[in-house]
Order: sequence, then structure tokens, then C-alpha cells
Amino acid sequence: MDMRARLLRATAARPHVLPVSTPGGTAARLAAERYLRLHDLPLALTPADADLLLVTGPDRSALRPAVDRLWQHLPAPRARAHAPTADAVPGALARCRADLADHTHNGDREGGGRDSGRGHEGHGGGMEMPAGLPMAGTGEDRDGLSLDQLHVSLGPLLADWPSGLTVRMTLQGDVVQEAEPSRQQLGDDGPAPLWAEPWARAAGGEPVTVEEAARRRAAAHLDSLGRLLAVAGWAGAAATARRLRDELLDGTPGAALRPEVRRFARRVGRSRTLYWLTRGMGVLDGERARAAGVSGPAARAGGDVPARYRTWLEDIVGDVDRLGETAPLDPAEEGPRGGGVGERWPSAALVRVLPELLEGAELAAARLIVASLDPDPDELAAAPQEVGIHG
Amino acid sequence: MVEAAGWWSLLVAPALLLAGAVLAVAGDALLAARDAGRPRSAVAAARPLLEVPRLLAAQPRRMPAPDRLLWRLGVVTVPVSAVLSVLVIPFGHRTVADLSVGVVWFNAMEVFTWAGLWLAGWGPNAVFSLVGGYRFVAQGLAYELPLMFALITAATGAESLRVGDIVAAQQGLWFAVWMPVAFVVYLAGVSALCFLGPFGYPVGRDIASGVLGETTGADRLLLRAGRWLWLVSGAAMAVPLFLGGGAGPWLPAWAWSSLKTLLVLAVLVWVLRRLPVLRADRYVEFAWVVLIPLAIVQALVPALVVLNR
Amino acid sequence: MDTLESALLAALGVVALVTAVLVFTCDSMARVTFALLASLCCVGGVVAVLGLPYLGVVTVLMMVMEMVVMAVFMIAYMMNPAGLMPMSMLHNKRGSLAVSGAVFATLVAAVFLTPWPAQVGEPPPDTTFQVGKALMGEQMLTMVVLGFVLLATMVGATVLATRRGRYDRFGDDLDLRPARDPVRGGVGR
Repeated sequence: MDMRARLLRATAARPHVLPVSTPGGTAARLAAERYLRLHDLPLALTPADADLLLVTGPDRSALRPAVDRLWQHLPAPRARAHAPTADAVPGALARCRADLADHTHNGDREGGGRDSGRGHEGHGGGMEMPAGLPMAGTGEDRDGLSLDQLHVSLGPLLADWPSGLTVRMTLQGDVVQEAEPSRQQLGDDGPAPLWAEPWARAAGGEPVTVEEAARRRAAAHLDSLGRLLAVAGWAGAAATARRLRDELLDGTPGAALRPEVRRFARRVGRSRTLYWLTRGMGVLDGERARAAGVSGPAARAGGDVPARYRTWLEDIVGDVDRLGETAPLDPAEEGPRGGGVGERWPSAALVRVLPELLEGAELAAARLIVASLDPDPDELAAAPQEVGIHG
Repeated sequence: MVEAAGWWSLLVAPALLLAGAVLAVAGDALLAARDAGRPRSAVAAARPLLEVPRLLAAQPRRMPAPDRLLWRLGVVTVPVSAVLSVLVIPFGHRTVADLSVGVVWFNAMEVFTWAGLWLAGWGPNAVFSLVGGYRFVAQGLAYELPLMFALITAATGAESLRVGDIVAAQQGLWFAVWMPVAFVVYLAGVSALCFLGPFGYPVGRDIASGVLGETTGADRLLLRAGRWLWLVSGAAMAVPLFLGGGAGPWLPAWAWSSLKTLLVLAVLVWVLRRLPVLRADRYVEFAWVVLIPLAIVQALVPALVVLNR
Repeated sequence: MDTLESALLAALGVVALVTAVLVFTCDSMARVTFALLASLCCVGGVVAVLGLPYLGVVTVLMMVMEMVVMAVFMIAYMMNPAGLMPMSMLHNKRGSLAVSGAVFATLVAAVFLTPWPAQVGEPPPDTTFQVGKALMGEQMLTMVVLGFVLLATMVGATVLATRRGRYDRFGDDLDLRPARDPVRGGVGR
């Protein structure tokens, strides 16, 4: 066995995975995250750090160019797979790892690892530009200086980001001067979004217990918190949030979960450091939120990022206390992102308030603000472009 | 007391540093396994070492119009300066080079890392890498100045810049006891060099791992090894500066040195997982308005004590 | 001075000169800055080899910090955005050649014309203490005054460069809390 084969086997033993979840694929994303967490396969944040590209969720033709571009940037050795449903995740990952370890497999030994999406395409104006890249223009910044303006898009695919959402930003340094969100409208063809599904079933007349809805809502908030904490750079707490989320969805009884959920809520909710780092960011007061159509935790919190994550934590503790209630769910009750009476896609309103919250924020703050609102990609994909208030 | 060892120590010191880094990585992996609900075992602790062959097998990355020379230079500077910094750290009674200006040497090596990481951010010619590089410099000044005052505090207490003299001056009372502010500021400043955990602002998730965002293969291995080497080097230097060096009952000096270093390292690894990323927009003001005045007042204490001695 | 030290001294001197030439021939702001840094580090090495380790290492330390800060500002405020475009580092060639030639000639002349004192006794093993005494003993007043002048210059320059004053931050009656800042700091003033 030669050196190369040994290195490849080591790579396949613990590959870094770049997960890409398509809108409508929350269940598959959760299965993938759980699998990666339990098998100690690290998440890659950029294609440069990834060995495997794992697409989870239904195939969305609108996102295919973005996925292909990520794939182009993966350095060799590399492998990719698509797991449309939760059940397909383990098989897809096993196949990828076998591909990686197989040194006779010549599929993707070359190419990749290169930013080939742009550049090399001629020159700007009469001047020779480095690699054919256009130079940045300048504009007034908030301090009265004339600085370079960079046009950078966040999304549609990004770690800890609502996939399918694109925010086109004009940056000066790392201050956001303009932000323009857009989302791909993929149609309301699939099943109801995973997080709002109990409410949809209850509205359709099916019997749904309070326990089921409370479990789903607490898990949804823990999922959002996992993302927020990951963006805030608190790896330990983010991992705990995701583990508790998976345990809730597994149906672990409330009595077993309660102490740990309370401990987690205390640790995050009372963290002075997290509060100090996020206070005063993305202030969205209750009235303005409701005027924009926002309902749910973001509207109830009526404040900055800490107000929103503390509302989530309170909701989680309240919901875990309600596990075991067998009363039927009132479909008018608030879902994870709000809604209830009439509003079917409350996440669309969360996107609508983004520009005013993001402009003037720094890049890090912008990511935290989006994560603290956490619009659900499944709802965004299903909602029509002009959000209709049904009912 | 502390004396320079032979040429063989030039090989032993980096090996010990590397061993410390491997232990730190393993400890961190165990903490990560606990948070993620995985079983904690020897295998779980050793698995991160698979990164070494993985990164050696990876293809190097090509970017449009990179500054390859400066990129490579920056990447190499980080681990090399970490290794050079341990030359003046005594292990028991022995050190590689007992320089008369050991403290300043250590500080100079730290500053090289700031330059190296900026270069690593500049080289690939990519937005988020560059933002990461700039972040490190902004944060660097805010961490470096209080850290310098902390180093000066220990040197003032011993009336010498020689690390051996600083150890000798702590017979009876450790500097950590009567210079607690300097000790804490030192630990915060030196762990900022490793840009791990709360100090990971230049490689933040919000900027797609910033400085590390475009590096692959051996470059990535060097940068990531460099950050753990720096964590160990910082922990090791805390022992002679504030914790009495190799002094202690019963055990030989080298055993006390390694025991204390591992203890500081364990505390640092644990703390790194307990905090979110400290962003510069919040930290810089805190550093300049609170930490620097505190560190100066702390430096005044040994100055007055020494004057009245 | 033994052969090893002489060789080291010569090597450092040559590298310092070569990198100094690179400062004027490179066409990228970042490379120029770091060529200058390499040159100054070699100068620090020369000082250390000549028996003043403290001044040598401190020179290296301060120059690294200064050059990193300089790289940031030079690149941020270049007319050429981001300093990515190749550019010439030479401006006003004739004038600067005359000035630098004159300065060089004066310095070289000074080296040869100064009546250097003859060495008396052996140099001490650790020169750091002597350097400190020379600077802080008889020249204490000068150093303290210089320190304050530098600090006042830095604070003054920052105040002059800042567009927003305290009335913009705290309102006309200086009673607005928290201050009106684009981004809030960490202390909450």
C-alpha cells in the first residue's frame, strides 16, 4: 500500500463535510447534522476546508448553479452526494467516504480548489487589471471618508444561514452600507414546513396533541439557538443546543429532558458575555415588528438580539414543561415563527424587516441579526413573493 | 538556578511544545465530545490528529491574483514564531537560551504572529480573508498593549528581563499572588495569539473562517498547528513569569514545570470553550478604557515595592 | 569580536541593504512594507550583535508592530484602491535623490570625522542595565518630557482627525446616555 493510499484512507476516516441543505429539506438536514455530530465528522465552513459536499433535501434547480460553484471550489480529493430524504443520509455519506478512500478511483483527483468562477476574462477599461478583476469603486462611508465599496452577497448557501435567502450587500470595510434581501420562490408544492407541520395538520382537522406541538416548537427554537450560538462563536453551547434539539425530536420523555434544558437555558440566558456582545444589536421594537407583519417570538421580544434569544429560551422552558399534555392543539396557537390565525408563512415578514436592521451594522452584527430572527427556509421557499395574508 | 542547556535542547524544546499541543488538542476533543453527546474515549481524543494526513493529502488552492510570496511567508511565520518563543522558557532548571532580554524576546515573537496572520489574510486576495487579517490587527493592538504591561510588571518585580531572574525572584511568593491583574491580563493576551474559541474573531464563522477561509493543505496545517503551539507556549511562559517556575516540594523541577504548564493549559482549553467570540467592536473599548489603566496600576505596585526594598 | 560574529554582522548588513533596495523596486504596497520591515529587523539584529541585545530586540518588536499598522493604513488610504494594482514607489525622483544623497554623505562624513573615545576597560556582560541607566539616569527629564510630547501629539492628532466631537455623541447638553454612536462600544459610555 503506497503513501498516497494511506493518506486517502486517513482522509476518509474523518472527512470534513460541507453540508448544503435545500429549502424544504429540514428533516434531511437534521438527520445529516445528527449523523455528523455522532460520528465526529467536522463541519466545513468553506469549500477550501471540505472533502465532501453533502446536499440534503429535495433537488432545487434554482440552487443548482450555486451548488455546482461550491463543488468547483472543493480541493481534491473530494466527493459529493445528494440525500433527498433523512433516510438517505447515512448511505450517501458512506458512499462518499468509500469514494474518497478509493485511490484507484480517478473521478476527481484533478481540478477544483480554484476560484474559477470569475477572473481570466479580459481586462477592465484600458488598464491591465490583476487577473482581470475589476477594481472597487469608492463612496462616502458613515465616518465621512471615501472608501472602497465591495459588493458581497451572503447566501444563498452559507453555513448557519437560512439557505435560499440571498442578501446582496454593499460593504465598506466590514460595515454594511446597503442590504437587499431576495429569496428564490420555489412554490408551495411539497409538504408543510417541518417546524410548522403540527399546526398545519391541526388546521386541517387532524387530531394533534399539545405535547407534539410543544415538542416541535421547542426543537425549532433550539435549532435557531444552535445557529445563533454558532454564529456568535460559542461552539460548546451551540453543540449542546443541537444535541437537546435531536433528543426532543427523538421523543425523549419530558422528565428526563427538563433538568438539562433548564441548565442550558440558565447558562445561555444568564451569560453576561453573550449579553455584552449582542446588546443593542438589531433593535426591532414590537410595534414596528407587528406593522411589518412579524408575529411570534420576534414580535413578542420587541427589542435587540438578547431580547429575542431570551424569548426563545423562555419559550423552550415553557414548552418542555408542557410535554405530556394530551389535550388537542388549538390551531390558532402561535407556531415556532409566529403565524397562527391567517398568516401561513410568518418567516417572509422576518425577511422584510432585514434591510432596515442590517444597514449600518457591521458584518459580524449582520450575521447575528439574521440568526436572531432566523427565518425558516422551508417557509420562505413556499411563501409567494408578495406575502398574502390568508383568511 | 536556570542555566542554558546544550545543543540537544534545540531539538527537545520544539518536541515538548508539540507534545503539549497534541495534549491540548486531545483535551479539546474530549470536551467537544461531551458537548456533542459522543462517548469520551481515547479514540475520540486522538481522532483530531487525522487532520494531519488529511491536510497533507489535500490539493493546494489557487486564487486569482494572489500574493503568493507574502501568503506563504505569513503562514510559515505563525508556527515558526511559536517555536522560537519557547527558546527562552525554562523547563525546570534548563532553558535553550537564557537571554538577558528573554521577556522582550518572547514579546517580539508574539508580535511576529500578528504580522504573520495579517499576511495570511492579505495573500489570497479574497474579501473575507482580508477582513479576518484586519480584524486580527485591530484586536492585536487591544490585546498586545495590556499584555506588554503585564510582562513589564513581572520584569519590574524581578528587576530583570532575564526569565531565570524572574523565576529566582519568586522564591517564597509567586507573582500570580501579588500581581493577579497582570496574570489574568497575560493569560487573556497570550491566548488571543492562538485565535481559538473566544479569540477566534479573525477566523469567525460570520466571515466564513476569515484568514483560514481560503487556505488548504499544508498551509492550513501550519496555521492550525501554529495556533495550538502558541496556546502551549503561552501556558508554558506563564509558569516562570507568574507561578514560580520549577519551584515546588518533593518532585524535581522539570516535573513541577510540566505539571504547572499542563494545569494552565487545561484551564485555558476549558475556558476557550466556555465563551462566545469576543468581537473587536466591544472588546477594543474595554481594553483601552478598562484593561490598560488597570494593567498600568498593577505595574505600579511592584515598582513601588522594588523602590522601597 | 570573533569570526562568527563578524560573519553574522556582515550577513545582516547585506540583507538589510538588499531589502532596503527592494523597498524602492517592488511594485506592491504590501511587499514594500514588509521589505522595509525585513530591512529594519536586520538593523535590529546588527544592534544586538554589536552587544546591545535589549535595543536590538526592542527595535525588532517595535518595527514589526509599526510596519503592520503602517501596512493597514497605507493600503486602506491609498488612492489606488486596496493597493492591489502594481504601482511605482518612486515620487519626485530628482529631489529625493538629492536629499538622500546629502544625508548619506553627511552621515558617512560624521562617522569618520567624529573623535570616537577609546575603549576603557571591559564591556559589562549585561548591557541592558547600562542602557537603562544612560537613558533614565541622567536623561530622565528629557525622556519624561519626550514621552508627554509624543502622547500629546498622538491625542492631538486623533482629536483633530475625528469628525465627530463630544457634542455629536452626547448631545448639546452632554447628557445623552448612551452616546449616539454608529456602533456601541464595550464599556457602554
